[in-house]
Amino acid sequence: MVFNSYTFIAFFIVVLILHSLPFNWRTKKINLLLASYVFYAAWNPPFILLLWLSTVVDYFVGRSLYHQENKSKRRLLLIVSLIGNLGMLCFFKYGGFLLENFTQLVNLLGMDYHPAKPNIILPAGISFYTFTTLCYTIDMYKRKSEPVKSILDFSLFVTFFPHLVAGPIVRPPQLVPQFETPRQATRKQLLQGLFLLSLGLFMKVVLADSMLADSANMVFDAHDRVSMLDAWMGVLAFSGQIFFDFAGYSTCAIGVASCLGFILPENFLYPYAAIGFSDFWKRWHITLSSWLRDYLYIPLGGNRSGTVRTYINLMITMLLGGLWHGANWTFVVWGALHGFYLWVEKLIADVRKDPARSITVTPMGDVGVLGPVPEILKKKNVRNFILALLTFLLINVTWVFFRAPDFGSAWKLLSAMFFPFKDAAVLLTTLSIIKVSVIVTGMIIFHWLMRNTRVLVVAEKLPWWLLGVIWSVLLLLLIWSQESSSSFIYFQF
Amino acid sequence: MNDTIFAKAGILMLILVGLSLVSWEYYVRSKGFDLSYDDAGPLWTDKRKQVYESPDKSTVFVGSSRIKFDLDIDTWESITGDHAVQLACVGSTPLPILKNLAADQKFAGKLVIDVTEGLFFSGAPNNADRPQKNLTYYKDETPAQWASFQIDHLLESKLAFLDKDRLSLNAMLSETHIRNRPGVFEFPGFPPGFGRVKFNRQEYLTDLFVTDTAQQNRVKGVWNFVFKMSKEPPASGAKLDSILLSVKGDVDKIKARGGQVIFVRTPSSGPFLQGELMGFPREKYWERILTTTNSPGIHFLDYPAIAHFECPEFSHLKQPDAVLFTREFIRILTEEKGWRFPLMARR
Repeated sequence: MVFNSYTFIAFFIVVLILHSLPFNWRTKKINLLLASYVFYAAWNPPFILLLWLSTVVDYFVGRSLYHQENKSKRRLLLIVSLIGNLGMLCFFKYGGFLLENFTQLVNLLGMDYHPAKPNIILPAGISFYTFTTLCYTIDMYKRKSEPVKSILDFSLFVTFFPHLVAGPIVRPPQLVPQFETPRQATRKQLLQGLFLLSLGLFMKVVLADSMLADSANMVFDAHDRVSMLDAWMGVLAFSGQIFFDFAGYSTCAIGVASCLGFILPENFLYPYAAIGFSDFWKRWHITLSSWLRDYLYIPLGGNRSGTVRTYINLMITMLLGGLWHGANWTFVVWGALHGFYLWVEKLIADVRKDPARSITVTPMGDVGVLGPVPEILKKKNVRNFILALLTFLLINVTWVFFRAPDFGSAWKLLSAMFFPFKDAAVLLTTLSIIKVSVIVTGMIIFHWLMRNTRVLVVAEKLPWWLLGVIWSVLLLLLIWSQESSSSFIYFQF
Repeated sequence: MNDTIFAKAGILMLILVGLSLVSWEYYVRSKGFDLSYDDAGPLWTDKRKQVYESPDKSTVFVGSSRIKFDLDIDTWESITGDHAVQLACVGSTPLPILKNLAADQKFAGKLVIDVTEGLFFSGAPNNADRPQKNLTYYKDETPAQWASFQIDHLLESKLAFLDKDRLSLNAMLSETHIRNRPGVFEFPGFPPGFGRVKFNRQEYLTDLFVTDTAQQNRVKGVWNFVFKMSKEPPASGAKLDSILLSVKGDVDKIKARGGQVIFVRTPSSGPFLQGELMGFPREKYWERILTTTNSPGIHFLDYPAIAHFECPEFSHLKQPDAVLFTREFIRILTEEKGWRFPLMARR
């Protein structure tokens, strides 16, 4: 089920009513769990079995990991969990990719091997809930937190429908304690949640699907080489589309959870106002980048094993982060480009001995600051704005590999972005160019103005009538766009 | 304090949204817009599921836009007692849908195949896009999508402004007709009054369109554009043989299961008809379909009662003519082609 559908609206009304009835807390949690299964099964019922399997295995393995004293047994249990989770992910997400690459390799070695192409359907959200359960078992192995007391709470932690299929990727300490005591949304939480849901749907349906998707698709799917203007407009359109699509989903998820009285962590903090790439990754898909930091980069040694090893660890993290997004080498190159950008940035910082930049998000999802924020990240001056624009432009280059179906298409588009070609195809209508220009410019300005704050903080400071008018415009444009309930881009990851 | 801000804003939002929607609905209805359904995958899928009704009670129609406009389903159903399942797709060849029905072992009903030669014999992949998308949606439809369609149906049955093709944000922006750079491909687009879609997927020309020659000329301009854009000559030789053999294979499968198949050439007029007759001579195309598939056919030019229609934009019948065409079509089917409608006999 997707948030941008009539089915979800009907479903959510029923869930809200059930959650506000005077049942005891355990019954309410069972209601939420059943609702979450319905939410997931409404897409493809058989895949609910995978979710159950993952939940049950990790619940019992997690408890054993925490209580087991024998080191060998603990390692064995961890391996069981890792094989279970990653094996499932590998089979469904990377099975075809691995087979294709293996086939190419053995054919290069002279063997005539041509297996049938596997027809594997990717279960929605498998990358997200696998990471959710993985971090639990790793935490149990490291005894970083207490095991979840009941299988009901653990099932709800894994399956809670707002975050189930496309995040934010939650950690046990962020969500499990919220299930332990009765929660009911206050009137403020409910209204703020509904506002965020409206905003998220507006971002997804109006901006991503209705205004930008066609231009991006037209340019990225073009058979011929396109003109420089079309190439840039297509890439900028995709930059906007992927942000509004994914940040829209996260905003909906946070809003929906808020309506039920729960708090999910922030996932986006105006990333296109980032100054540099480490700043970008603290603002884009925050729960994934922090997951990769805590469960991959730091276990690899992080920055504790010398300069060279730090650079290698950084690149490994970004390459695997790229591969997490999809089973295609283009995603690996996307990650590699980001790794390269981070290398260059780190090199400059090392040479200049810049202090660490440390905006972060607290475990409960509040924007917080751990340690002093360097002045460079606070000031909204022209120099910083130009640096943010430069960061944005370089990120646009990475999106080419993210969106292009293959390297041939990516190179063709990249060359069109930087070199004028005679007889290049002109594709986009003036109306499309106006739409992309206005929305992307507005997006950059909005990100810049909002980079040190949050939407609810700003909303609360507005006069009530202005907030009401803005809310109305969001909803009216949402209704007026009449877009069908297309899937979110990140569902495929 | 903050609580109050959101509460007041929420109330204002409800008032503004409510008032705006009521005003918008009133306005679009005053401008002649009536209910129209989004003729996309969900609606097509809803009809595709109905092909398994008893052959004694239903007839399936495949083809291009003409059968959607020219078959008046109310008239068909009131005379024959048969349920008309409309699977035709505008601007498309019916061959992918025919293939799908032929491959479906559970389908053994009555099938009417509408032939618009320029689409039926084109073989151009883009003419199969819409049917392919609909078939994909049909195969992949999720329970959530099915439920959304049910709710969407309820809303579209009440609100005229829910008309994606004409009244959505993008549709209205495209009516600004901002000049494009040289070389940009620009499809001329249909005027707002051209067609409305009923829930049974019948389309009809609006009264506004039928009386507005400017809108009619705009559609004629679209046909002219499409003709000029078609760079490939009509299929002939091996390509034509291949299309015909494919159709024969599909028709034979349906007949082998006890199904009934008939081809129909629905009316066109004016220069459009002249162009079609020149590009697709009857003996080389229409007659060959019938002989190759060994199936009966009804060509509108063979029946004086339906040969005289003047289509407002050369290609589709206006509603009163669609009623007349449907009546005569049923008469020919029953009196000359031997089709039987058991429920009709009881009326």
